[in-house]
Amino acid sequence: MTTTLEASTVASTSAGRGPGRRQPASRRLRRALPTFLRHAVLIVASVAAFGPFVWMFLASVKSPAEALAYPPTFLPREWRFDNYVRLFDAVPFQLYYRNSILVTVATTAGQVLTSLAAGYAFARLRFPGRNVLFVVLLAALLVPFEVVFTPLISLLASLGWLNTFQGLIVPNIPSILGAFLFRQFFEGFPTEIEDASRLDGAGVWRRFWSVIAPMAAPMIGSFAILSFVYNWNNFFFQFLVVTRTEFFTLPVGLSQLQSTHGTSFNLLMAGSALAILPVFVVFLLFQRQIVTALSGGLR
Amino acid sequence: MSELHASPPRRRAASRDGTADLHRRREGRAGYVFVAPTTLLLAVFYLWPLAQTVVFSFSDWNPGTGRVTESVGLENFTHVLTDPEFRRAVLNTLVYVVTVVPCSMGLGLVFAALLARPFRGRGLYRTLIFTPYIAPIVGSALIFSFLLTPLGGLVNQGLGLLGVRPIAFLTTEPWAMVSVVVFSTWQLVGYTMIIYSAALTNVPESYHEAATLDGAGPVRRFLSISLPLVAPTSGFLAITGVIGALQVFTQVYVLTGGGPLGSTETVLYWIYEQGFVLFNGGPASAAAVLLLVFGILASVLQLTVISRRDTVELS
Repeated sequence: MTTTLEASTVASTSAGRGPGRRQPASRRLRRALPTFLRHAVLIVASVAAFGPFVWMFLASVKSPAEALAYPPTFLPREWRFDNYVRLFDAVPFQLYYRNSILVTVATTAGQVLTSLAAGYAFARLRFPGRNVLFVVLLAALLVPFEVVFTPLISLLASLGWLNTFQGLIVPNIPSILGAFLFRQFFEGFPTEIEDASRLDGAGVWRRFWSVIAPMAAPMIGSFAILSFVYNWNNFFFQFLVVTRTEFFTLPVGLSQLQSTHGTSFNLLMAGSALAILPVFVVFLLFQRQIVTALSGGLR
Repeated sequence: MSELHASPPRRRAASRDGTADLHRRREGRAGYVFVAPTTLLLAVFYLWPLAQTVVFSFSDWNPGTGRVTESVGLENFTHVLTDPEFRRAVLNTLVYVVTVVPCSMGLGLVFAALLARPFRGRGLYRTLIFTPYIAPIVGSALIFSFLLTPLGGLVNQGLGLLGVRPIAFLTTEPWAMVSVVVFSTWQLVGYTMIIYSAALTNVPESYHEAATLDGAGPVRRFLSISLPLVAPTSGFLAITGVIGALQVFTQVYVLTGGGPLGSTETVLYWIYEQGFVLFNGGPASAAAVLLLVFGILASVLQLTVISRRDTVELS
């Protein structure tokens, strides 16, 4: 595939410069065709993938009639940015936002801290029962959340944790995958720096905060970003835990908006836009970390 | 927790004059504190409910009132396996697996192959194709319900130009399932593309060069070099795709609510309805146990595939 590409760039530059040996037209076409086809396929794919988000935004600033008008308009005849104001009047979206931010940040922070500590201990500290514990964790990784949710929710009910922030946050904090990743990270990391700081008299706690955590910063970063996106998008669990509006997160509030304002598509699209926007911003800022973490097996 | 705050000063004092061995043992004990948050939370919110799932699958349990009556033997399992709606849900999940998994993998591989080598615009294409995977499913499923609405939805307007009368995609068979499948494929392609991209970068450049010298065109090189070499990745994606299919809920809830007449109800949706709408905790737990057994089989298969992938890369 490189050769095709190189050939086509060579062809285009030589054509641009004018003089030089001209290739026969048929041969040039045969070389340019793969490039053309490649772009054609990718443009169709990009429009199919991203087009719905563009359409969502445009519909969110149209009047209710124009959102469903035939023939459809691409750009709104009249930009109705006050749809967003109307959305906040119809449902307490600012509350959903606050709840989502609170739950996502707290869960992500909890996941990072507990996984970092556990991963470090499994990689570096020797204590009786370590291997047994690790195998138990390995086995637990095979159990999807979907298997345990019915008794889990009734456990939360008996704790009085339904419709609470601790109910939304605490059960999601333990991350086996996170513990594995950090264990793997530390096993591939030289021990010299730690040994040096131990000789300097730093205890395991101080070493953890002042040496180990900073060393793991890149790993913490990519794990935190992916956790953030996952927790922000989480619907099923939050949907089971909350029934009262004051604890709705964005995904739950949005699904509720569908049942109360199902036909006001401009408002629904404004709500979707507000729920999607933060992850898009995070994605644009941290695209490389997200892609690397995903292709490294994180999901 | 109090131990956590009390120990550091003592430890520091000991580390100055203690021997290395004593040192290591003390640090070892700190290991328990380090792993405690993860393991204890996991035990309470994961392993305990798991044990309950297994026990409840043999009991009569009402999640609404919390009332549990003694063992009913295999009654729940016979209930589940003879329930026509559960069979329907299994069938729907199978339909999902045999459509979404190969479609998302095929498209993902094609896009990854087209984006394998650097060229102008490559980053933009990749970003755009990847975005559906990162967006919250509730939000993007709402966009689809807007696009697919019979009166005024963009898809039906487009079909109208071809003379097709409006189709109620989300409320009629078989279109509701088709819609769920198309949505899920659209949502997943970005992920499969990224995974295949990583696999394709591991394919040595020299293979392609050698094949080019032998006169192989791009399609031939893709079929004879790239495709066989990413086979282990395909295995990995197929199995994670199956496991993912067992967890499908959100798009079904938003797009169709499981309807019409249960035609888009998945296994997880069935468990949710039994447990939280009908309060049949026993059958819900029995189905969850079946899900667990199936999931473990798939995961074991996955582990063997992954270990094979490692050996392929090493050789």
